[in-house]
Amino acid sequence: MTVMIKRPLVSVVDDDESVRESLPDLLRELGYSVRAFSSAEEFLASDCVGETRCLLLDIAMPGMTGPDLQQELTVRGRDIPIIYITAQADEIVRACSLEQRAVACLFKPFSDTALFEALNAAFGVSRAT
Amino acid sequence: MGLGIAEIGAMVGGLIRLGRPLAVVLTTLCQLFDGTVKGYSSSVLLLDRTAARVREAVGPGLPDSYMKQLAAQDAAPGFWLHEVSPILSLTGEPLGIFAVYRRENNTGVTRCHSALMQQFTHVASAAIEHMRSEEALKRSAALLERTQQLSSTCCFSWRVKTDEISWSKELCQLFELDPADVPVTLDLIGARIHPEDLPSFQEIIERARGGVSDFEFEHRLRLPDDSVKYLRVVAHRTSDQEGQLEYIGAVQDVTHRRHTEEALAKLRAELARAARVASLGVLTAAIAHEVNQPLAGIVTNAGTCRRMLAADPPDVEGARETARRTIRDAERASEIVKRLRALFCKKGAASESMDLNEATREVVALSLSELERNKVMVRMELAGELPRVQGDRVQLQQVILNLFLNASDAMSGVDDRPRQLLIRTERDEENRVRLSVRDTGVGFEPQGVDRLFDAFYTTKSGGMGIGLLVSRSIIESHKGRLWATPNDGPGATFSFSIPGGAQDMTAGVSCARNLGAVRTAAVTNAEERHVRIP
Repeated sequence: MTVMIKRPLVSVVDDDESVRESLPDLLRELGYSVRAFSSAEEFLASDCVGETRCLLLDIAMPGMTGPDLQQELTVRGRDIPIIYITAQADEIVRACSLEQRAVACLFKPFSDTALFEALNAAFGVSRAT
Repeated sequence: MGLGIAEIGAMVGGLIRLGRPLAVVLTTLCQLFDGTVKGYSSSVLLLDRTAARVREAVGPGLPDSYMKQLAAQDAAPGFWLHEVSPILSLTGEPLGIFAVYRRENNTGVTRCHSALMQQFTHVASAAIEHMRSEEALKRSAALLERTQQLSSTCCFSWRVKTDEISWSKELCQLFELDPADVPVTLDLIGARIHPEDLPSFQEIIERARGGVSDFEFEHRLRLPDDSVKYLRVVAHRTSDQEGQLEYIGAVQDVTHRRHTEEALAKLRAELARAARVASLGVLTAAIAHEVNQPLAGIVTNAGTCRRMLAADPPDVEGARETARRTIRDAERASEIVKRLRALFCKKGAASESMDLNEATREVVALSLSELERNKVMVRMELAGELPRVQGDRVQLQQVILNLFLNASDAMSGVDDRPRQLLIRTERDEENRVRLSVRDTGVGFEPQGVDRLFDAFYTTKSGGMGIGLLVSRSIIESHKGRLWATPNDGPGATFSFSIPGGAQDMTAGVSCARNLGAVRTAAVTNAEERHVRIP
């Protein structure tokens, strides 16, 4: 008898299509259910905000930026762990995002191991692959 | 009183030498006359320069009231005007009047000889003339002093054969020498000259001894308190009364101007460097951002692919799909690189027919003060007949300037030999125009020549290492070549050659100009993508 365990939802918010395409497959391989959004506004308008256990969030996006979204979620009282992903390899950006209580800040391109470790940190667990 | 005219002349001359006022001198003269010729009183009326008005009247033996009215020529009661003699200058100009009055009670015991009158008149004339020239001298000295103060300029003269130097008081102050330290000698001056400027100063002195015409130079002083002054010296060749070589000149204190210029140049250099670093940083970040996006896709897809294949059973279909995406993202990355290159080297810019010699001279003129400040001696050997070249004037001048500054930087640590910069233009066998910049700097190892043109390769502490790279890209876009060769002696020579004569340059000229466009785009991009952390 198989017990259906509900997989935790990870939402990806990134304006880059190749990320929205590739990341969900990897996340599913890692055992999560995934939803991808092309903008912060699209994510906020979806029915996933309450269900999302972790947010993989691009920093620089047209319109609402990653940090804008983080602030909005704080205002709404949604305490979702955030992992920033950015193509702007800037240590200052990383330091700032971590200061703002982000779980991690990954510079694109990042390895699946780095992502795995960041997710573990977000879910506060330590499990073997 | 039996004073002879020679003694009278000597007495009056003594008073003049003592610097007594003219009125005192003339009064004494009158007293001497009155004492010599009993029964007569003499007076001198001093005319002003127009000879129309009495400037001063002395007559110690005559009543004051009369002297006051003398202009009216009325005789005072009891005095008979005996004889009047005009006092003339050597050139016949009227200076005054010597008038002798016979006293009423003079019974004619003593006779007043006309010859004596003439002699006194002569002494008076000499006294007045001397005073006048003295006054003129004082006035012109005062004027000179004022002018010197106004223009912060001092003057000097130098008799080359005897090394006699006359200095103005202000020059002593400038050199902080005690005016009592006269005579000023070349050694005394040399002791004040900044040690670094001493060799060139001595060279100029030697050249002047050889009788060059006028000379002009700048040098620094190092004063006893270690402060430094900048002086500009202009000297004109002339000859003294004996026909010997003499230089007269002016020295101007340009310290303030120099400090301002230096501060300005430093600020300009800092600004240029800051702008360069800033724009390059922005540009690099923009490129990195563009390229990192597809790279992220590639890495994620490859990671997923590996996991799908490692699963039990392996998800071959999923792996094939992620592999396809990996290839697609790699192509996308390569497309971005291609697009960036196109941006950097866009075709179809305007170019003009230009004279490379003229462009070179402009750059030399612009950078001369910077080069001089680095003690670099610049020599130009520009070919007489150079074919015109077709190209972007500003870009080519940037290349030339870059080569100058590189050469200057390469020589900044050189102290044991002259820092020489030789700029040469010539036409080669294939009608190409070649410009070379030869320095006597640190040079480079022959095996290091390839690295010179690498991006970010630099031997300078403040360098970015992109100057030569950009220069080469500009020259290549002009269908030319830029290369470096080590000298036989110290230093290196950087040269470029570009085709001469009219040609079609519609393609590829504006590479670096478009760099500006990319930069602007990158800045805009960076602003758009400005990260705001709440």
